[in-house]
Amino acid sequence: MLDVAKQAVEAARAAGADYADGRVVADDTESITVRNQEMEGIDRSTSEGLGIRVLVNGYWGFAATARQEPEEIERTAKLAVEIAKAAARLPMEPVVLAPVEPVTGTWHSPMQVDPFNVPLEEKVAMLMEATRRMQSIDGLAFGEGGIDLFRRRTFLATSEGTSIEQTTVQSGAGIEATALGDGELQRRSFPNSFRGHISAAGWEHIQKLGLIEEAERTATEAVELLSAKECPSEVTTLVLDSGQVELQIHESIGHPVELDRVLGMEEAYAGSSFVRPEDRGSLRYASPLVSITADASLAGGLGSFGWDDEGVPAQRVPILVDGVFENFISSRETASVLGLTSSGAMRADGWAHYPLIRMTNISIEPREGSLADIIGDTDDGVFMSTNTSWSIDDHRVNFQFGCEIAWRIEKGRLTTMYRNPNYTGITTEFWGSCDAVGGREDWTLWGTPNCGKGQPGQVARVGHGASPSRFRNVQLGVRG
Amino acid sequence: MTGLIGPDEVRRVADAALSLPRADGVEVLFMHEWGGLTRFASSSIHQSTHREDTGIRVRVVSEGRIGVAASNDFSLEGARRAAESALEMATVVAPDALFPGLAPPVPTPEHHAFDEAAAETTPSERAESVAQLVEMCPEGFTAAGAYETLASEVAIANTDGQFCWAPSSQASVTTVVTGPDGGSGFAEVFAAGRDELDPAAVGKRAADKAVASRSPRDIDPGRYTVVLEPAAVSTLVGFLAWVGFGGRSLHEGRSCFSGKQGQQVAAPIVTIYDDALSEGTLGLPFDFEGVPRSRVDLIGDGVFLSGVYDLRTAKQAGTTTTGHALPPPNPEGPFPLNLFMAPGEAGLQDMIASTERGLLVTRFHYTNIVHPVESTITGMTRDGTFLIEDGEIAHPVKNLRFTQSIIEALQGTEMVGRDTELASEFFFSASRVPALKVSSFNFSGRSDH
Repeated sequence: MLDVAKQAVEAARAAGADYADGRVVADDTESITVRNQEMEGIDRSTSEGLGIRVLVNGYWGFAATARQEPEEIERTAKLAVEIAKAAARLPMEPVVLAPVEPVTGTWHSPMQVDPFNVPLEEKVAMLMEATRRMQSIDGLAFGEGGIDLFRRRTFLATSEGTSIEQTTVQSGAGIEATALGDGELQRRSFPNSFRGHISAAGWEHIQKLGLIEEAERTATEAVELLSAKECPSEVTTLVLDSGQVELQIHESIGHPVELDRVLGMEEAYAGSSFVRPEDRGSLRYASPLVSITADASLAGGLGSFGWDDEGVPAQRVPILVDGVFENFISSRETASVLGLTSSGAMRADGWAHYPLIRMTNISIEPREGSLADIIGDTDDGVFMSTNTSWSIDDHRVNFQFGCEIAWRIEKGRLTTMYRNPNYTGITTEFWGSCDAVGGREDWTLWGTPNCGKGQPGQVARVGHGASPSRFRNVQLGVRG
Repeated sequence: MTGLIGPDEVRRVADAALSLPRADGVEVLFMHEWGGLTRFASSSIHQSTHREDTGIRVRVVSEGRIGVAASNDFSLEGARRAAESALEMATVVAPDALFPGLAPPVPTPEHHAFDEAAAETTPSERAESVAQLVEMCPEGFTAAGAYETLASEVAIANTDGQFCWAPSSQASVTTVVTGPDGGSGFAEVFAAGRDELDPAAVGKRAADKAVASRSPRDIDPGRYTVVLEPAAVSTLVGFLAWVGFGGRSLHEGRSCFSGKQGQQVAAPIVTIYDDALSEGTLGLPFDFEGVPRSRVDLIGDGVFLSGVYDLRTAKQAGTTTTGHALPPPNPEGPFPLNLFMAPGEAGLQDMIASTERGLLVTRFHYTNIVHPVESTITGMTRDGTFLIEDGEIAHPVKNLRFTQSIIEALQGTEMVGRDTELASEFFFSASRVPALKVSSFNFSGRSDH
């Protein structure tokens, strides 16, 4: 398939492209969902095709096709060039690509047991047993379990001489318990909401999750939430588990530091950012405890790779250093606008899409102490766990998040359970109030499998390492 | 350029899957889509794409067990492989006690929604349309957005003899115009045909709004009367569909309308229905099981009437399918993709003129569910929010966060607009909706712009 990518580059150059890259992508997925010991869905899908991106006189063009015969490659390459020429109808500063060394190489995400080779019966049996145990809890309406597997093979060739083959395998699973009653719907998930915990790993990752072992506790908490108190409306200390810190990082740090947003390229759809190019090295984004790093080389991260879809090598980039904003995540085009080199963050949602700046693995650097230590050190406040809902404005300033469950913290101990907890804040005020970040022992490299961006819409799977953290003076309990 | 594959060739390839041995039933969903999108920002074209793909999704039934496999290899061999993969999966699962059978062989309605001009639009034509839009920006203002033309064909074939095929097209232009002092305005148009788009008019509308929204002032959160333009109403209707109208969630008690059939859930001036066959929407004449679509009245004169069903959830609920199946497997169940809110009699200016103090909202942004059973959602205003005082626009205000029950808002609806627009929501398909005036809407926070 690398030959097809190279043919595409040659065809694009022959058609008039100054620069061209050809990317063949083959995606395989497998998804299994069981609910109350009944099969809700089991499916596999495959998708393979070619995307050709070109620069002509400093304007981009992109065309993609599912067919890979020589005539179709040539037709698609010519179409990409035609699209780039049409873009010149509106003048702009020609695109300049930040330099990158051409590379030839292969890369494979780490994996012990290929999950696609594990018998379907074994996967189904795991979910059946987990849902059976959830159903054993009185009052539970639904116990659901799911497994999702992804394999992506990417073959990239560029007119600068890059030639790359990469294979990424990602595996995830989770359970979700639902209880219903008196106008309430309460859910508890394990290990995380929205299909669980996905990692760039094989079947061994799913085996270690403990879905069966945690099924009864998960279901019990869902039922208990039905009769729990409503989360109070108040301004207080908030402790978040690492799963919620993950989403807080994603929405209020990861997206705002995407350089295409900052430069207005996403203005019409998902919005822009409050962060400006001149904020590098000076904007106090968070308290000195908060250091954030984008690292595409983390083993197991959904945002890990050998090279991005422009052939830029995986990098570790400091985003916040002791709370001060230092770097954007960028592409070759956007980095050159600021006179920088690319951070290596360009990824496309399969062969049919133009690569965009996407988060790699954007993580909070661990500090000290466990979740128990942070709670034990809190005199009064609320502990929230597991995301249910997220919303943030078009500049990434005002946010509101909901969680599945919360408990009161009184003198260092969890006491009253709360249902329907949520909190709201302003990005820099919130991160500025962070006065505890947990240590390595409770730091987890989570996966966010559903990050949407771009027109046409694209979905990316990205990673976030997170520790439980504490924030002061946070508004909780927003009601309609 | 690419063209339609057509029903004969689709049937020939589908037959390779339908003839799978050892299966009790097979269904093939075929989708072919192509089109281009010209994306612009800072009044320049920065990302333009064209893509074409075919897909076949095969559902195999074996002794009541169901497996599904999909592939974009549209060939006889690709269809056979997908069918065999689906059968392999079906063999490892337990029988589905609620399996209702495949769709019976019945005719589907004639529905012409394919525009050759949209299907054959060239990159230069899209770029020229974008230029017409951008030219409407006043000095100091720039436009961002997308102009898209899409064409597709969808077919369903099954071993019970059902076969249906339909081509369709879509053309859309959406833009946000921004300028000095925080000015920001939004406009968009969706249509089946390219000639129905007027890019210059879309640009002017967004530009006028951007000019008017400069220098927004702070305003305290709290409860306000609101006048919601159609784009904002589409968010309420889209999320109401998500938490309310699906037959499965209704039957299982998860819907905000569970147990409320026949009850007054909204003001009597509110009527919501789904109608894929209407010329006012972009719909297919059959669902993704091959069942013919028809109009379903969901809320009539404020009374909750019905949800939507596919074959399986209809069997579960003891009713009949309304033709709202999504592609398999689909654990969430059926969903209405072609929603309408019936127009009323008021003009937008009538709503503003009748408001002593309130807010005019152009659209909402990044909305999400807070409490599904209470239909409570949260999101932000965006691209033009204005204070209304004494029946007139007083000045623009900075963006606000709302946290609000949709049902409560519909109960407090005082006026319904006489003009409707096909308006998209961030997460859902477009709905045709009017503007609304709502007596009380809860704004729970604010932003800095």
